[in-house]
Amino acid sequence: MLLSFSAIALPTLAEPLHFSLAEKLLFAAMLIASGWLFWGRFGVVLKKILKSRKDPNFHLFPIGKRVWDFFWEVLCQAKVIRERPLPGFAHALVFWTFLAFALVTLNHCATGFGFGFLSAGGMIGRWYFYFAAVFAMACAVGILGLFIRRFLVRPKWLGEKVSWESGFIAFLIFALMATYLASFGVGDSSTAARVLWWLHTMALLTFLPLIPHTKHLHLVLSPATIFLSRGTFAEIPPLKGDEDFGLVAGTDLTQLVSLQAYSCVECGRCTEHCPAATTGKLLNPKEIILGVRAYLNDLGPASDQPLLGKYNSQEAVFQCTTCGACEFQCPVGIEHVPILVGLRRGAVNTGTWEDDHGAKLFLTLERGSNALGISPAERDKFIQKQELPIFDGTQEYCLWLGCMGGYDPKGREIIADFARVMNYLGTSYGVLRKEKCTGDPVRRLGNDLVFQQLAEANLETLAQNKVKKIVSICPHCVRTIQEDWKEYGVPPEIEHHSEFLARFADKLPRQSKDESIVFHDPCYLGRYRNVYEEPRTVAGLAGTVVEAPRNHERSFCCGAGGGLAFLGEETGERVSHNRAAELVATGAQTVGTACPFCNTMFRDALAAGGDAPPQLLDIAQLAARGLPSASPIADHAS
Amino acid sequence: MKIIVAIKQVPERDAQVRIDASGKWIDEADLQFALNESDAYALEEALQLKEKHGGEVIVLSAGPERIGQTIREALAKGADRAINIACDDLGSRDALGVARLLAAAAKQESPDLLLTGLQSEDLGLGQTGVILAELLGLPHASLILHVEKTDAGLNVKRELEEGWFQQIEMPLPAVLTIQSGGNKLRYATLMGIKRAKMKEVRQVSASELGVDATPVVMLDRVTLPQKQKSTQILPGSPKEAAAALVEKLKFEVRVL
Repeated sequence: MLLSFSAIALPTLAEPLHFSLAEKLLFAAMLIASGWLFWGRFGVVLKKILKSRKDPNFHLFPIGKRVWDFFWEVLCQAKVIRERPLPGFAHALVFWTFLAFALVTLNHCATGFGFGFLSAGGMIGRWYFYFAAVFAMACAVGILGLFIRRFLVRPKWLGEKVSWESGFIAFLIFALMATYLASFGVGDSSTAARVLWWLHTMALLTFLPLIPHTKHLHLVLSPATIFLSRGTFAEIPPLKGDEDFGLVAGTDLTQLVSLQAYSCVECGRCTEHCPAATTGKLLNPKEIILGVRAYLNDLGPASDQPLLGKYNSQEAVFQCTTCGACEFQCPVGIEHVPILVGLRRGAVNTGTWEDDHGAKLFLTLERGSNALGISPAERDKFIQKQELPIFDGTQEYCLWLGCMGGYDPKGREIIADFARVMNYLGTSYGVLRKEKCTGDPVRRLGNDLVFQQLAEANLETLAQNKVKKIVSICPHCVRTIQEDWKEYGVPPEIEHHSEFLARFADKLPRQSKDESIVFHDPCYLGRYRNVYEEPRTVAGLAGTVVEAPRNHERSFCCGAGGGLAFLGEETGERVSHNRAAELVATGAQTVGTACPFCNTMFRDALAAGGDAPPQLLDIAQLAARGLPSASPIADHAS
Repeated sequence: MKIIVAIKQVPERDAQVRIDASGKWIDEADLQFALNESDAYALEEALQLKEKHGGEVIVLSAGPERIGQTIREALAKGADRAINIACDDLGSRDALGVARLLAAAAKQESPDLLLTGLQSEDLGLGQTGVILAELLGLPHASLILHVEKTDAGLNVKRELEEGWFQQIEMPLPAVLTIQSGGNKLRYATLMGIKRAKMKEVRQVSASELGVDATPVVMLDRVTLPQKQKSTQILPGSPKEAAAALVEKLKFEVRVL
């Protein structure tokens, strides 16, 4: 049988034909030892995950998105490759080889007991071994590349400490591939084949127990993490029962949080894109996740020791802008925002967070109606001055002013211009007599008490006024109304003004293409809402849109999110200055924004940046600029 | 130390008030109510004293049903229990009448210290706390920014005019009326609100207390302040306008 194929020029995989009883016993002993060492750690990890609190709102269905995410992010490695193409592709090669090697490895072990089911002589076996060999070569190249990156190029996101375990694992993977490929060059009955078989076995059985003891645990866990993740971006789960205040102690860690903590592969993509970490703040999202993991390792999910303190810093947790860049980047399905907000909830809902600015914001919103702490009479005056129609239930849209639109001078300009555009389009709309802050800053800062009060009061006002559709200039209002209020009622349909304006782009006057406009993607419009093209369409009416280096999903935060606009001075470089400098460097004449918070941050940052900064305009202002000047509202605009 | 904090619920500061049909009080429909600001500072002072020296903080109020929410907020911030004297006609009562009610209820508790805000944001009489001390026969001090417990009693810091302060030694028990701004207020928490549900709120009536609170001062009518515009635009170059502004601030407004 074997001879008949030996005539073909291609070499075939050599496997030892016969194993002595002693060899079989030795192999069995090694296999058991390796498996035992694997389970000794993996069992502990699994138990910690399973003993964690159940996620209150977890539901497996609809399952379609989960299956797709698994296919796209795990099997296709799409996110791994897309966000870091070169190392991502090298990683994908290693991953795909592991998949191809599942059958080879099973057969390898079976051969050791004399039950090999694939034969280099058989049709299927022969071709499968070639198939795997192609992958083995690709994998060897891939792992070599990753080795060079980690130990010679040394990108700072991998951490300052050189990970020798990663080097050893890379060596083992390389050895697995080398021994497999070398087996094509020797004869079946040769000693070399036997030696290679044993070397391959030893590499394999050393690798197995290392998986749960190192970050390579992600090999086993991350497919499950991606499949089971909450699914909605940066979703803040509801609190359950009278004793749930967020992530206070180990007993509050849910199964998803624990699974995610153990899945972290320490690649540092979250850190690389974090506006806090990259501007010299204490916060490092990777360390937050590793802090939770260290807590679980030391104390476990039944501990009532606080999560903040020894394992994670409260100061760091309150530096998060909730921009979600970390969560968006994470290739293993970790949801950083719910964890960071969860830790904040734990601190704020139990009163352990003490911060003068934070307390002031909470007290302002406990008593007042808006985050800026200004009298609502000022909002009334603005409405009268702009002659904004009052919503009476007959109009199609309720124009939500929000704190910025109702009280901030620049926000008011945006509202005034957006109203002009709506008047021009003949849209029927009205504003509410009374509005409270949607609760976005307190929600992200973890104050569930004030958030609930605001959400309920607003939902009641909207129901009384029979509001069906809302349009808002603020992506934070949009997100909070649409997603976060769901915990307390059924919010009306809502859209961002970029979506509204893009829909009517054909009806709006086109301006000269001469002006270059760099559009800054707001986090809460882009990553949170997946709206990227609409604001560009609107900005495109007023000039030529150019892109900053970090754009679309990779857009860099302005620094205002997560309630941080209301907290005190930042440590390190200001996030807004970092981003403003990037926008200025594009050479664009105009910075286009679609969020009043981004706008206010850049207003200050551009003013501080030097002489002749580019002009700063919201997309509504860009659209309104092209309107005939005799629009009724324009005469009264301040 | 057993501390009673007398609190009042007042219309939210942002509220736009209208005068009711009788012309003697404001129309309470559509109004949002909140804890009187200086009472919030009195509560904060009491909570800090309790945290330092132990004891109990009891919230005492006289008001209609809607005050329940404000009482719960006070309990959420850390008060241990509450007593409310049901009282629907606060608008027509004078400071003496309210103080009589509060004094009768406070007497039953025989507290070591009684704190209340300097004055209410709605009526602004500034007398209730002081009359309360008189009715209870206790020493009192007003306009207090800071309270320290000493072996002999209290050391309190009073605010005088123009940045002057006065330190006073006084015995316990005592009544203090607290000025706003002496401490940083704590924010209410979800945990506090949940725990507050289990705390006692005792409802008593004026008749149970045996108090005759017939007003001795009658309110005739209330009026809204007259709006008048006195904006002046200072003409000239920025330099001239600034000079004119300084002149006016110095000699007309006298703040410089």
